[in-house]
Amino acid sequence: MTSFAVARNVLRRIFRDIRTLALIAILPLFFVLLYGNSFSGSYTDLRILVVNEDNGLASVRTSEVGRITLTVDLAAAFVEALDRELFNVVVVEDAEQALASVGNGTWAALVFPRSFSNAVVNEAVRASGERKVAFEERTVTLLPSDPVDGPKTTLALDDSNPLIAGATLAGLENAFARVLETQQSSITVHGLLDIRPLYDGAIKTLDFTAPGIIGFAMTLITIMLTAMAVVRERTGGTLTRILIAPVSAWQVTLGYTLAFSLIAIFQAAELFLATIWIFDVRFVGDPGIAALVIILFAVGLQGIATLISTLSKNETQAMQFVLFLLIPSIMLSGVFQPLEAMPSAVRPLANAIPLTYANSALRKIMLTGEGFGALHLELSVLGAIALVTLLLSVLSMRRQAYTA
Amino acid sequence: MPTEFVVRADGLLKRFGKRTALDHLDLHVPQGQLYGLAGPNGAGKTTLIRTLCGLLRPNKGEAHLLGWQMPSTRVRSQLGYMPQDFAVYNDLSVIQNLEFFGELYSLRRRQVRERANELLDLVQLSDRRRDRVGSLSGGMRRRVSLAVSLLHKPRLAFLDEPTAGVDPKLRRSFWDYFNQLADQEVTLVVTTHLVEEALRCHVVGFLMAGRMLTQGTPEEILEQTQTTNLDDAFIKLQEQGQVRP
Repeated sequence: MTSFAVARNVLRRIFRDIRTLALIAILPLFFVLLYGNSFSGSYTDLRILVVNEDNGLASVRTSEVGRITLTVDLAAAFVEALDRELFNVVVVEDAEQALASVGNGTWAALVFPRSFSNAVVNEAVRASGERKVAFEERTVTLLPSDPVDGPKTTLALDDSNPLIAGATLAGLENAFARVLETQQSSITVHGLLDIRPLYDGAIKTLDFTAPGIIGFAMTLITIMLTAMAVVRERTGGTLTRILIAPVSAWQVTLGYTLAFSLIAIFQAAELFLATIWIFDVRFVGDPGIAALVIILFAVGLQGIATLISTLSKNETQAMQFVLFLLIPSIMLSGVFQPLEAMPSAVRPLANAIPLTYANSALRKIMLTGEGFGALHLELSVLGAIALVTLLLSVLSMRRQAYTA
Repeated sequence: MPTEFVVRADGLLKRFGKRTALDHLDLHVPQGQLYGLAGPNGAGKTTLIRTLCGLLRPNKGEAHLLGWQMPSTRVRSQLGYMPQDFAVYNDLSVIQNLEFFGELYSLRRRQVRERANELLDLVQLSDRRRDRVGSLSGGMRRRVSLAVSLLHKPRLAFLDEPTAGVDPKLRRSFWDYFNQLADQEVTLVVTTHLVEEALRCHVVGFLMAGRMLTQGTPEEILEQTQTTNLDDAFIKLQEQGQVRP
């Protein structure tokens, strides 16, 4: 049977190529392990600021002794009830400063007003009816009074990342629910909170994922294009011809970088314009800073692609290496699953991926309009990756001259 | 440190794993010589050229080109190299290939034009200069490759199988041209697996299993082997396993 002969021949050739064989065996496992690890974690270490101005007292009418003052310290109880794995709770004094600090890594600020305990206890009694409590060695009956019209608890929430904002809100609600349980009341937290989303809920899931998808598309196209081009140049013999001419590896590498940077910038512009015009994705920042991020990112990607081409004997092998790079990029760079929700074991890997920084920088620029001041880390890391990979590319280009 | 030989290799040893591709090989080629490197497939001709050009690092021994120990960047502008594969851009036209490599050798546009005209006449591709190289036949692509290698008027050229796949008439004109270049003091090391072609060289080296079986003028080799043609001489040398000391 001719078909069997063809199939046997295909399989025989695959079995002769150890790298392809390894890819077939390892890639699915690699994919599942990365997927499982990146999506199985829960949020940890979300930084929130708490300002506790609550005096801890509740003034309530009773049927036995008139108005009494109870010491309940509900705000302190709430702070105590916060999940310390989920939240990195920082207690501060200045309410205004705390509210202004939200964003850029501080996901929420919670300001308990002076009358918080009073408001909660009275609201609880009003909602649930009379209830008895111990007071000065006797039992008294708390009576409902008129609604307390005092300042609410202010929650400033960074909603630039809808997933983290949701997790933050859920964690806070959970702590509130545990405190409210002590008041034997069915009141909900929403009546007590004055929620102030930093971006008024204007950031949709599409806005939030778009920067990462743009970065991923750039990674995919730039790395594939560069790696294939360099491998083809080497296997076709033209790289040898170039490197035997009176040009340095620097000049050749720079030439490649220039050409593919232009292509990457064109592609990035196309991606940005399409997402903004067709899908109305939010872009409130400075396009110049976004362009700088794109250029640094593109140079780094080309460096990586050149290194991949050095390790690859042919285009198929280059493609295999590219796959091993692309899968972690999409899984671990925070495009879909925030880094804050990844298990600590995979975070170092996430921090080693260029897309993590490009995604973070583009989100800050596009979604919240942040400038250079908030992008130190991202620009430094992308710049360092660009520089190091460019240097390694030059060395690998020299090596390719000897192995071509 | 200039020496009397344009190509000087001493005791070159090159191994690929367990296989010895060059076995303590010596080669000395003076200026203006047309040196033919003959031998069967896998004899080590390409490895020798790549090692001489600095593209492969020998395990032992030294190579000097134009007086400079290889690998050296100093000889690049005076070195011509035609690899065995075509090593030209299939997606560019013939003239675009020449223009690109001309730029790498810092040739002016006018110089490239003049040299391109001259070389395309030689390789008989003047009428195909605007055609994409990918649309040319294998033999034509090899001719483009030869033109690219000689574009910058190198003082020393290594041509790896320049006549493979080229028809006999054109092959003859290539060898005439190589001799002309040698007359102009250009040194050429040309490999061929067509042993009889080596008759057109000033000196011929017979390579086998990484060792130089013998070298000399075609006449000397015929006399040494008591044969009437180089094919027979080569077969005889192979059978005798005779290695020149």
